[in-house]
Amino acid sequence: MKGNVIKYDRDNIDTDVIIPGQYLKVHDYAELATHAMEGLDPDFHSKVKEGDFILSGKNFGCGSSREHAPIALSHSGIKAVLALSFARIFYRNAVDGAFLLPIEIEQDAYDGISEGDEISIDVSTNEIKNITKNQTYKMKPFSEIIGKIIAAGGLFKYKPDQD
Amino acid sequence: MGKTLFEKIWESHVVVEKQDAPSLIYIDRHLVHEVTSPQAFDGLRMSNRKVRRPDLTIATMDHNVPTTDRSLPILDQTSSIQIQTLEKNCKDFGIKLFDINSPNQGIVHVIGPQLGITLPGTTIVCGDSHTSTHGAFGALALGIGTSDVEHVLASQTMWLEKPKPFEIRVEGKRKNPHAVTAKDIVLSIIKNIGTGGGTGTVIEYRGEGITDLSMEQRMTICNMSIEAGARAGLIAPDEKTFDYLRGREYTPKNYESLVDSWRENLKTDGDAKFEKQFTLHIDDIAPQVSWGTNPGMTCDVTESIPTPDDFSKGDVNQKKGAEKALDYMDLKPGTPIEDIKIDRVFIGSCTNARLEDLIEASKVIKGQKISPHVKAMVVPGSQMVKKQAEEMGLDKIFIDANFEWREAGCSMCLGMNPDILSPGERCASTSNRNFEGRQGTGGRTHLVSPVMAAAAAIKGHFVDVRKMDLS
Repeated sequence: MKGNVIKYDRDNIDTDVIIPGQYLKVHDYAELATHAMEGLDPDFHSKVKEGDFILSGKNFGCGSSREHAPIALSHSGIKAVLALSFARIFYRNAVDGAFLLPIEIEQDAYDGISEGDEISIDVSTNEIKNITKNQTYKMKPFSEIIGKIIAAGGLFKYKPDQD
Repeated sequence: MGKTLFEKIWESHVVVEKQDAPSLIYIDRHLVHEVTSPQAFDGLRMSNRKVRRPDLTIATMDHNVPTTDRSLPILDQTSSIQIQTLEKNCKDFGIKLFDINSPNQGIVHVIGPQLGITLPGTTIVCGDSHTSTHGAFGALALGIGTSDVEHVLASQTMWLEKPKPFEIRVEGKRKNPHAVTAKDIVLSIIKNIGTGGGTGTVIEYRGEGITDLSMEQRMTICNMSIEAGARAGLIAPDEKTFDYLRGREYTPKNYESLVDSWRENLKTDGDAKFEKQFTLHIDDIAPQVSWGTNPGMTCDVTESIPTPDDFSKGDVNQKKGAEKALDYMDLKPGTPIEDIKIDRVFIGSCTNARLEDLIEASKVIKGQKISPHVKAMVVPGSQMVKKQAEEMGLDKIFIDANFEWREAGCSMCLGMNPDILSPGERCASTSNRNFEGRQGTGGRTHLVSPVMAAAAAIKGHFVDVRKMDLS
């Protein structure tokens, strides 16, 4: 996976800013995507490109259990969110529906990667390469089961009895 | 070694146990509402599945129902469709629905306990993060997303990584329990441990400061566990719990024998080990008011807005967060909380819209009028709460004070229905989240107790409610 980074240099990005409550009535995912991050960054929809990544601080996705949050990001083209830590319901929703990869990073990646940097992510080696700055960072590996659910393409495609 | 209450409930519900990986757990009760369920029912249809246990699944509509006259048609087309969709889904899949005209309609986390659907020792899920509320009854209650809603509808189970037990002890006695409320206790906890302080854990609230609380106050505490990042929060059931649930509409027929077993089993053993521990002493805590854009950004009503440096204690991102929050909230460091003027008051939400909340708030406003520049509303948590309040004449007290008295629903807690703040408006709110735009784009939320919200409505600004006569 290779793409450019949109960086939100703060902690506690909540699901109300990822997709504000008034859009939870929207069932068309393409339309939902036009409102992604609207609560924090009204320019997000115009600047995001297919294959981009979001980089942020601690407790990303805190708040509401709305699955609309990873869906809105995913349908905006976001392939992964890199964060110092995730709120658990967001993390699980992202994996369950195979909407995007929630990637836990360390401080070196958070500090090293800037807005607009081109990076590549290799989940088989748990490495993040910053192509723009020629740096490499380690991501925290997925737990075994999360890796399997991701590999299967989501909760409903994962068959635990085949383990 | 002994076990915690959480571990006991976990072990009695595990279907498939996996070490260091999610386990499959059985779900006793599944609560469904209109917003997070439509795609889950669509998923069932596409894969030609049924609801595995419609008898353990209960639905209501709360998030985007209008709180005004319900004999009128719903003007918002998308809300109307979402409400009709739930009606159709419940009919197609044989699920009990408390619809918009039902006397049992209300916020899902208010009606569950009120109807005796919430029971000690059970596992409860709902596609809503504030499901943690039901933990007040000694249930393991989890908020889930729509994929998991579909999984539970189809299988009555879900995969879950076993959370770690976190003990929060609340010790001491409040000097003025009418002015310093359960809301102030839980805001104090979050202020101390932070919005990520409970991540990956199930909190068990213990100690004299918890057992002293009524069931409705305990629900306020457990409700906000999610705001500390916890997967769930719970309180061991006691006689108050058993008395609360006795004789309700859906309380099981063999209730007394269940109580005997709960009394025996649903407690943390003396030698059980928690992975994390925090203690709050409440003898001297003050009423709390949030000043920022997450529930951890909270201080005493007697304090002033902190500087980002003081708030962050050296953490760079916390400092940036505080700066952005102050900018959004249009507040300056050093401003006394009591000097903050408000435009709106919202008494409602699954955190603080139960009968006791309305009783306490009504004491503050009885015989008075709200400040002329303030608009204020009460949205009871359920139609049953509304009816009980009206039987006590509380509606008259609020209406006489120029509050609006509404029908039950989530309302201005999350801005999905017409009850929203206008950009720049500042609201004293009894809800649970002060995130940017939560109550409407550009709206500014201060989280407070019902008593503080009522006092702010009268005075037009926050006040130390300990100085008021609330007996």
